[in-house]
Amino acid sequence: MAIELVCPAGTPSALRSAVDAGAHAVYCGFADETNARNFPGLNFSPAEMTKGVRYAHDHGAKVLVAINTFPKAGTFEPWRKALAAAEEAQADAVILADMAVLDHAATHHPGLRLHLSVQAAANTPEAIGFYADTFNVKRVVLPRVLSVEEIAKLNKEIDVETEAFVFGGLCPMTEGRCSLSSYATGRSPNLSGVCSPPEHVEYVEEADGTAVRLAGFTIDRFGKDEAAGYPTLCKGCFVAGGKSTHLFEDPVSLNAAGLVGRLADAGVTALKIEGRQRGKGYVAEVVKTFRAVVDAIEAGGDPVKAEQLLAGLVEGGRQTSGAYRKQWR
Amino acid sequence: MLEHQSPELPRPARLLAAALPSWPLEMVLTRALRALADRRPELFERLGVHSRCVFVVRPTDLDFAFSVVPHRWQGRVSVVRPETRGDVHIEGPLLRLLGLLDGSLDGDALFFNRVISVSGRTDALLALRNAIEEAELAPSDLLGVSGRVGRFADAAILRAIQALQGMAEPAANATPGAL
Amino acid sequence: MDRPENHIGLTLGPVLFNWSAERLRDFYATIADRSAFDRVHVGEVVCGKRMPFSDPVWPDIIAMLEDAGKEVVVSALALPATVRERKTIAALCEDDDRLVEINDVTALSQRGGKPFVVGPFVNVYNEGTVRLMASRGARTVCVPVELPLASLTSMAQSCPDIEFEVFAFGRLPLALSGRCYHARLHGLHKDSCRFICDQDPDGLDVETMDGQPFLAANGIQTLSHGVQAFCPAPEEAARAGVRRLRLSPHTVNMVAAGDTYRSLLDGRIEPAEALNRLRGLNLPGELVDGYERGLAGCLAAGQA
Repeated sequence: MAIELVCPAGTPSALRSAVDAGAHAVYCGFADETNARNFPGLNFSPAEMTKGVRYAHDHGAKVLVAINTFPKAGTFEPWRKALAAAEEAQADAVILADMAVLDHAATHHPGLRLHLSVQAAANTPEAIGFYADTFNVKRVVLPRVLSVEEIAKLNKEIDVETEAFVFGGLCPMTEGRCSLSSYATGRSPNLSGVCSPPEHVEYVEEADGTAVRLAGFTIDRFGKDEAAGYPTLCKGCFVAGGKSTHLFEDPVSLNAAGLVGRLADAGVTALKIEGRQRGKGYVAEVVKTFRAVVDAIEAGGDPVKAEQLLAGLVEGGRQTSGAYRKQWR
Repeated sequence: MLEHQSPELPRPARLLAAALPSWPLEMVLTRALRALADRRPELFERLGVHSRCVFVVRPTDLDFAFSVVPHRWQGRVSVVRPETRGDVHIEGPLLRLLGLLDGSLDGDALFFNRVISVSGRTDALLALRNAIEEAELAPSDLLGVSGRVGRFADAAILRAIQALQGMAEPAANATPGAL
Repeated sequence: MDRPENHIGLTLGPVLFNWSAERLRDFYATIADRSAFDRVHVGEVVCGKRMPFSDPVWPDIIAMLEDAGKEVVVSALALPATVRERKTIAALCEDDDRLVEINDVTALSQRGGKPFVVGPFVNVYNEGTVRLMASRGARTVCVPVELPLASLTSMAQSCPDIEFEVFAFGRLPLALSGRCYHARLHGLHKDSCRFICDQDPDGLDVETMDGQPFLAANGIQTLSHGVQAFCPAPEEAARAGVRRLRLSPHTVNMVAAGDTYRSLLDGRIEPAEALNRLRGLNLPGELVDGYERGLAGCLAAGQA
């Protein structure tokens, strides 16, 4: 079976860039707290979604709509509307995390194909089986905690498709189970669709460089000639046990281009590229490169040297294969 | 880092820019901003509540700065003193700032590689960056002209930018793609 | 047990840290002997690798607690991954005699409809999810730490049969990871970690580069540096729909912490006095309670 390349789009122009660059599917979300990349200026209105789906379909690509946050009690309306708008836009699937949202979709939108978001953190056959049996979920996006060997074993025990991240920002924490951001700022990925929200980010110029503060906590400091990144809490530099260190994760990006063949052999259906918050230049370049990787592997040809090709686009200029290799742990 | 190699306007252009009176520039730019709001209102919706913020854009190779309030049809561009304070400050060589606007430079690289420095409200800045990212603006949008005149202006201005960039930036130095 | 309608129960949550078998035995002996908790959780929740050390002591501890009249709940792992860990959860879910606390959806399907407690590691943020849990046997739901009290109230109103519990005391469990931070800090691999998380029985302090206390590491878990201290007046808690408060074990005098909360919930001391008494316990961090007010979790307690 052909490998599906699932690519990010934070704006309609990024969607077109991804489709033009060879994406088999594009994932995107509405401009509110219903999706996990709820940053200012990003995402789609219902009208833009409809146009985006039409553009993708005209070019043979699918659109998957992420509605993957958790509504707080008594605030279900935006999620209900998002599901209806996704079906209205003729999206090919919705990517969901919350059980109540899944239940509503399964009951009221039986025609919608349901994917389980990485935010649901289902990484065992029992958990995945629960979502498949209860809500008829067809695909699960795997948490970034499994090694390739574990994914191969898992795929033998489940009946649903799996989708694995291959490139982009890397959460060292299990997604959907992290409240670091709300501890510091009051807003989190699960509840507000944002991690380390920009209204709490402050760059403070100091004598020896720039301090980055999140809600008053200094999470990094860089010298005058050092490149900066978006200040995500878990990529910060902290002091523990007398050592000053990037305790949780170094400022690196996931690049599993070298593992695409093994992931395909492990039974993975779709490969996901992270980066709905990134520009269309990034999207075009990464999608084009990964499409070449996938095409080369399917044709049985020489693997493409994606590590070198994408070196300029990764955060902090460094790449890792993350949990796919067990040493990462 | 590219800081030491960043392109500055060549001296003749700097002198010319300094000699321009500010009010026709303000008028042209304000009219262009409002015309853009008229033509593509969805771009300004992307700014949300941040459309009322004051964005101070300071080309480091000019002796003045622009203060922009992108509030749709009431939007306003003013030519201000370089030290003017606003909600968001964006500072960098003029050609880089223009490269940003027309999308030839990557937005993330723009904000984080420190060739361009930013300060102030990070949420408003991010909203602006995402709106620009979606906008795919051409130089003619800044001048408020469209149609054949617009296409002519785009071709001429882009050529001029390239020429200026060539003068300011020896071939051995980094290209925008390397940002 | 006969209790007034608005009685608020006191739960001792599972020990989140890597305590030795001796420490666990001594700790629970004290709890059984003279604590105010009516319900006590036992079992390893954070790391499956710790289980071979603690597993042998649980039967004795459970017997000791039940002999003392405590209701015992057996807590399951929050991030099961290996076959052995999944089998452990399956075996634990067979228990017909007592409640099991599920901390991952893995255990939800394995419990097969028998009564259970939903732990704070499961994403129950709304009434729809509570109803689904209830239909599968949930009795008590300890809501996720970041959920504001107002949302709990909203759930309690639409799901009156469920007993809602708040994580009221202790360092807040904020995140889980596939990676072990104790191992990473000591330059070890997770697979050969030497169980060094046992050096930090209340978690390893994590400060910012400017020396601000911020987080605490506990193997694969990240907790807050601050110590949650949600101290509501009893009528306020009852009005909000809270039926239980959970205290999370630390090396401090947990009997005293339990007594403080019991006095508070019985109306014998004011919230300010409860906070004062907690502050006297030599805690590992400042008292916080921002989450309950719908704000940042790190905000100082008692500011409402």
